[in-house]
Amino acid sequence: MKFVSNFITKIIGFILIGCALCSCVKDVDLEQREDISLSPDIQIDLLIYDIDQSHFIDPSTGNSKTHISDTVRLEFLDDSYIQEDLFSVEFYFRHINTFPREIESKIRFLSDDNREQFAVNYTIKPGVDGNPVTTEQFEFIEEDRIHLVRRTIKMVVELEVQPGSGKFEGELDFASKGLFSFEF
Amino acid sequence: MMWRLIGFFLIISGTVVAQNKPLLFNVDDLPQTLMSNPGAQINFTGHIGIPLFSQIHLSAGSTGADLYDIFADDGTNINTRVQETMRSMDSRDYFSVNQQLEIFSIGWKIDRENYLSTGIYQEMDLFAYFPKGPAILANEGNSDYLNQPFDFSDVSFTGEIMTVYHLGINHKFDNRLTVGARAKLYSGIFNAESTGNTGRFTTYSTPDGRNVYNHEVVNMNVLINTSGFAPLKEEEGMTVDQATAELLSRSFFGGNVGFGLDLGLSYILDEQFILSGSVQDLGAVFQHKEVENYRYFGAYETSGIEPLFPDLDENDEAIPYWDDFEDEVDRNLRDETTNESYTTWRPIKANFAMEYGFGPAFLPCHYLSVKKVRYMNLLGMQLSGVKRPKGFVYSFTTYWDRKINDNQRFKVSYSLDDYSLTNIGLMYTRTFNKFNVHLAANNLLAFPNLAKAHSASLQLGMQLIFND
Repeated sequence: MKFVSNFITKIIGFILIGCALCSCVKDVDLEQREDISLSPDIQIDLLIYDIDQSHFIDPSTGNSKTHISDTVRLEFLDDSYIQEDLFSVEFYFRHINTFPREIESKIRFLSDDNREQFAVNYTIKPGVDGNPVTTEQFEFIEEDRIHLVRRTIKMVVELEVQPGSGKFEGELDFASKGLFSFEF
Repeated sequence: MMWRLIGFFLIISGTVVAQNKPLLFNVDDLPQTLMSNPGAQINFTGHIGIPLFSQIHLSAGSTGADLYDIFADDGTNINTRVQETMRSMDSRDYFSVNQQLEIFSIGWKIDRENYLSTGIYQEMDLFAYFPKGPAILANEGNSDYLNQPFDFSDVSFTGEIMTVYHLGINHKFDNRLTVGARAKLYSGIFNAESTGNTGRFTTYSTPDGRNVYNHEVVNMNVLINTSGFAPLKEEEGMTVDQATAELLSRSFFGGNVGFGLDLGLSYILDEQFILSGSVQDLGAVFQHKEVENYRYFGAYETSGIEPLFPDLDENDEAIPYWDDFEDEVDRNLRDETTNESYTTWRPIKANFAMEYGFGPAFLPCHYLSVKKVRYMNLLGMQLSGVKRPKGFVYSFTTYWDRKINDNQRFKVSYSLDDYSLTNIGLMYTRTFNKFNVHLAANNLLAFPNLAKAHSASLQLGMQLIFND
């Protein structure tokens, strides 16, 4: 009986001490923690507008005009996560046009002192017989041009109606978004 | 009456099931068994714990990921592994850390029926569910998760550090029934909790909408309560040592106070079958000192900023679209910091065990000892768990408890729990004259490489135990 008792004691002692001595952390490299980063891709709506022919009339004179523009400050572009961690941006712009005219769209990105950093210019296709026609435009700002986005604080949208013979009536809808890719 | 009492305990134990050091449950040689069941059957007449060494308990676990999942040295990219691991986990996966250090412990038989025990221990308990929604949003963004909500209710955690002062009585009702109770006074050092949050953020794809997407925050109400955190936050440049000293200074009634109760019983069904059950930490801490509550609430949706193409000349100021947008967001998505007292319920733990003893042996005769027969072998099963914010965390343990001789005893267990299906535990206790040492460890199979372990726990203690 004493033999059994000693045997069991030794076995248990061996297991517990063995576990204590042999317990280890292996097959891992904790230095990799330095490489951990967050890399979210964030889809953000930017500007929208739905306009018709009334927007191309000068309210003070009642005369029609062919050029309109507006400026929106995008203050979030000055935030630290944009300045330090933004990796790339893919802009998407979409116009749905029922005006029977081509319209030149200029989307300009300006710094705080109104210097143009980059611009996206394209022609909006005319509507056909009053039916809407969609024009889409992508602009990818990759890593080597990302400083241009970081310097940007204003987005200017400009529309220039091109000459034409038909009656200038219709609607123009604008949608825009950015896919902002970060690496924190 | 007796059966009603037993029925009450079985119901409580069955519905509020808990896991708390199962290897030390029902070990009648060890005073620590009274900490998990104040109504345990015991066969000693007094004990004095070695200060700071009478019980050291550490346990940690993660149901969803282990160290190897993240830090595997296999040549693959760690960020890919992090992403895959986060995707594989869900919001009911959790991380937990529990640590206890017994500072002082003493007990003695005051007569044939009653054993009084008292002491002080420090406890840290951290429990956090994996905040899947916010974590995926932070790590991957919303681009691959259009039309899928990121749920703020995934944020759910509790954390507390406290000192516990306790006084317990173990009463031998008759030859079959032993009951016990332990009153506890909690002195909270630190607490942080955020539970019951609501709300979600969704980016909807809107092919027929005004813009490409619509971003919605619905029904957001996130509350984080803290006590004992504000002074640490305000002390800029505080070192870890200083922060530790500050925390320890609150150990002795310097912090928030609470009260709790442990209840337990054991009942000998017949000579060989023993039932036992306990409920621990039925109590609360009233957090009113150094309290800060952070609340984030509201609802908002947007598809972007809309320029109006106003007629402006060079002298006119541009419309402050962004400022207007920010004001609108701030009006609808709000945050506030308050100092409102709150109450935290302790994580209730419960145990229910059934044992079958065989191989009788006879205890030395002692005028204070009622228990005469003990069994060299006990086969048992134990249902246990802890109440956590989203429900009970269960564990089922079967064990063989073997007394080798008067001075030595071991217990081998196999547990099924959320962490593992191969949780084998071992407890060994040895007494040299009156000096007792015990060591217990769970999940032994994982010890050769803890990196691949989802959980591990260790209990170590030494004390003087008197039998005469």
